[in-house]
Amino acid sequence: MTDITITEDQRDCYQELSNVAMGQAADRLARLLDAYVVLPIPKVNMIESSELDMAIQDAEKDTAVSAVCQGFIGSGIAGEALLLFKDTSFQDLAALMNYQGPLNRYGELELLMDVSSVLIGACVHGIGEQLEIHFNQGHPVVLGQHCMAEDILRSGNHQWTKTLAIEIHYTLEHVNIDCDLLLLFTEDSVLKLNKVIDYLLD
Amino acid sequence: MAINVLICDDSSFARKQMKRALPTEWEVEVHFAADGIEGVEAIRQGKGEVVFLDLTMPNLDGYGVLETIRRDDLPAMVIVVSGDIQPDAQERVKKLGAMAFIKKPIDQDKARAVLTEYGIMTGA
Repeated sequence: MTDITITEDQRDCYQELSNVAMGQAADRLARLLDAYVVLPIPKVNMIESSELDMAIQDAEKDTAVSAVCQGFIGSGIAGEALLLFKDTSFQDLAALMNYQGPLNRYGELELLMDVSSVLIGACVHGIGEQLEIHFNQGHPVVLGQHCMAEDILRSGNHQWTKTLAIEIHYTLEHVNIDCDLLLLFTEDSVLKLNKVIDYLLD
Repeated sequence: MAINVLICDDSSFARKQMKRALPTEWEVEVHFAADGIEGVEAIRQGKGEVVFLDLTMPNLDGYGVLETIRRDDLPAMVIVVSGDIQPDAQERVKKLGAMAFIKKPIDQDKARAVLTEYGIMTGA
């Protein structure tokens, strides 16, 4: 396999596409929770699957998280979205969502699925829309509850060796809610994506 | 006389997209800035009679640019063009003196609608 890289212009373009998509997702979340979501600049990198933990900020690595993963595919481009939700965030999330039940593993799971469907759905759709690709989404899969972020990222059995990783770190203003959304594209998809991107850059 | 238009965005792709979205018949001189600090500098030099301003930028973000324009009473009509489309963000920039808010991704129709609505595009 040829070595897949992205140029600085392509990286900039991926970053801008992610920026718009994450804004749409944040808007959905903000309306759901009636809160303001702080938006950072998304991080775009080509990484090896063995160093997937490099895709997230150092500070996030040894935090206890609950994680959901959801695949997406369309026009020959495939990838997966990974949401790492900090366990310390559930208390405030439950309050904002008016969650009445007991906040045990099951309650947390319900909240986690709600947040991930909003964030992953809107983000994947937002990127697809700008590229004029309709992505079909697979079923969400819970990768773990109360695990170390680093362990979750290292446990994946991925088919690719190198991937385009987009990291979006969402935090909420005034409340303790903090999560990381990772979009990972397969090696083959990056070549196709780059072509679409080059067309946009032209 | 051509109007000085400043496009302030950290993404070169976004700057290009914005420039392409400007109505072709609008007589303008387009200038670029890659962050808020460059943006303010360009406005001080008179290059930003009309400014298309991004919010999420390194060094000095769009909010910071708006605050500076207001504090130093700089002559600039600012249209915020942002991916942060939360109701709160729109309200905040309006309070800080932005004239209008356009949701990214920008296109010709959106740009034309705002420029016409606020009577910014003249002579067309």
